[in-house]
Amino acid sequence: MKEVIDLWLKSLRIEGKPDEWESKELLSQIGINVPEGRRIMPGENVDFEELEFPLVLKVCDPDILHKTEQGGVKLNVTQDNFLEVKKELEIKFPSSPILSEAMCRITGTEFILGGLLDPVFGPAVMAGAGGVLTELYKDAVFRLCPCTKAEAVRMLKELKISPVLEGYRGSPLDLDSLAEIVSKVSRLFDSFEGELSQIDINPLVYSGGSWTALDCVFIMKK
Amino acid sequence: MSIESSLNPLFYPKTVALIGATSKSGKVGNIIFKRLLTTRVKLYPVHPKETEMEGIPVINDVKDLPDDLDLAVITIGALGAVESAEICAAKGTKVIIVVASGFGEAGEEGHALEKRLGEIPAKYGARVLGPNTLGVFMPETGLNTIFVEHGDRSLAGGGGVAFLTQSGSVGSEALGYASNIGFGMRVFVGLGNKIDLDELDFLKYFGKDRKTKSIAVYVESIEKGKEFLEEAANISLEKPVIVLKAGRTAAGQSAVSSHTGKLAGSDRVIDGAFKQHGILRVLDDEQLCDAAKVLSMSSLPKGNRIAIVTAAGGYGVMCADYIEEKTSSADLAMAELSEATSKRLKEVNIGFASSKNPVDITAAADSTCYAENLKILLEDDGVDMVICVAFFSPAGMSEGLVESIAEVSEKYDKPVLIFSEFGPFTDSYLKRFYNEGIPGYPSISRVVRAARFLVERKQILENLGGEV
Repeated sequence: MKEVIDLWLKSLRIEGKPDEWESKELLSQIGINVPEGRRIMPGENVDFEELEFPLVLKVCDPDILHKTEQGGVKLNVTQDNFLEVKKELEIKFPSSPILSEAMCRITGTEFILGGLLDPVFGPAVMAGAGGVLTELYKDAVFRLCPCTKAEAVRMLKELKISPVLEGYRGSPLDLDSLAEIVSKVSRLFDSFEGELSQIDINPLVYSGGSWTALDCVFIMKK
Repeated sequence: MSIESSLNPLFYPKTVALIGATSKSGKVGNIIFKRLLTTRVKLYPVHPKETEMEGIPVINDVKDLPDDLDLAVITIGALGAVESAEICAAKGTKVIIVVASGFGEAGEEGHALEKRLGEIPAKYGARVLGPNTLGVFMPETGLNTIFVEHGDRSLAGGGGVAFLTQSGSVGSEALGYASNIGFGMRVFVGLGNKIDLDELDFLKYFGKDRKTKSIAVYVESIEKGKEFLEEAANISLEKPVIVLKAGRTAAGQSAVSSHTGKLAGSDRVIDGAFKQHGILRVLDDEQLCDAAKVLSMSSLPKGNRIAIVTAAGGYGVMCADYIEEKTSSADLAMAELSEATSKRLKEVNIGFASSKNPVDITAAADSTCYAENLKILLEDDGVDMVICVAFFSPAGMSEGLVESIAEVSEKYDKPVLIFSEFGPFTDSYLKRFYNEGIPGYPSISRVVRAARFLVERKQILENLGGEV
């Protein structure tokens, strides 16, 4: 894991500041699904043949934390308006790359996974009810890293929304595979050995029978 | 040095210096002197002017103390305390208790003194407890440096709870609780400002101590986070570790910094970390004592199904409500009694008594009938534990109910918990139950919560055992 992290840190476009595409690359490397996508650098032309529509265009810049609020996320982009939307983002964020991603079909509730560096106990992993209202629900639980899968199962069962992971009203969301991801994220965070300060994977959604990280922020320790 | 050899001189000292000893009644140095007089230790009172106290020669200068004392208890003010501690440490004293406040919590000057005190262990090898601490109380040996009133006589019997507290007041109230309605104290340790010895040291020591049945900890800060958790997880395999971590909310945290001048960690992480490491978390001092009590006295239930026996219908119904309430702690369930049990209950009870759970034997029942009911419930395989609502006001209930319940319950390996309320006599009845080895509580919510602590502890053991 440590080698993967070291290589990844060296590959960052801006040292010590991973962007969304890079963060998702790392998640993908440790076996967590992310949407099919590519990063388009400023001024780069894109071959339409390479893209599958509809798609999402997002500004991809570690310095822009609230990209939705700043108009940096465009959903349901089609072949017809792709160039127009891309242009719009390029004008708004002239020096930032753009992330082009496949749209995901989402089933059920959104989750959030996170990590933070506790001043006393060190790296901790979090799971909770995700989406834009996550801070309103405050339905979140923590464990220290590394967190075993068995511990992650117990942790997830503490969530108020945990019934949706166990078939509530026919919900297909899978507890076991989510626990596996929590455990993976915890081991990843732990392997950073204090160099990583925070992770936000929000939302993490159930899509086509598996969990997919739709958005993700890694903040390195200063 | 092993934790045992470091701390044995603190808990089992043969020689003790009391710096600040005085014959002036009411002074801290006098209260502690009198307490130490009752123990078998060789005592060296130190006071600049006095010559003799209770027939013991007084030493006028710390420098004249013998070498290699086990323990020095220092009751004088901060500056003098630090100077005396340095001299004692240089003379080979093994453990030093600094009672005085006026250190880290009292501005720049205090900080400087605390720093000096903190350098003693590395420089001389002596261990320091405090400053700003009540010190220790160990019923087994009578060693007692607590200078506030705390019902020590009724605690003298000792017990299984090792009580470690960063706050003196919380600690002395817990002692009051223990002596009033009863839990057995193995040891009381006031951690104070934790300049050297801290909760981790005592956790290790009493984790290994055979006579300690449960460890109760009150802390406002945990410095060695990971180590503390790992030690607790180890100990938790054998005995319960219950922790009250104060300073939970933002407001609470600022209170922490003004109180002992330390930072408090982030609360939600602590919650998860405690669960992960088999620590039973409680949120106030009442819960801390209630949990320590039940976990040091009772066996663990096989499951979470509870039967209630009561001579007062209303309390049975309330109890059932509390049992079925969903909380963030372990779930409980009302036991479903078997046909055979219901039949047996009907045979021993009068016609209008309820043979369903809660079993209401009515105010017409007597103590013998009560004990019969308890026996029948304990013999039902669908019952994991029994809560007894024990009232002494019905005419048929004799004083002997306490002993009758105890006699039945000791024959079965299932927890029996008591709720008892009897006006001004509540405490004395609960104390009697305690003396018979049965944990009792003065409210329905507390007795049900005690049952939850037992189930939570059982789950902790299962989780720790199942971990890979």
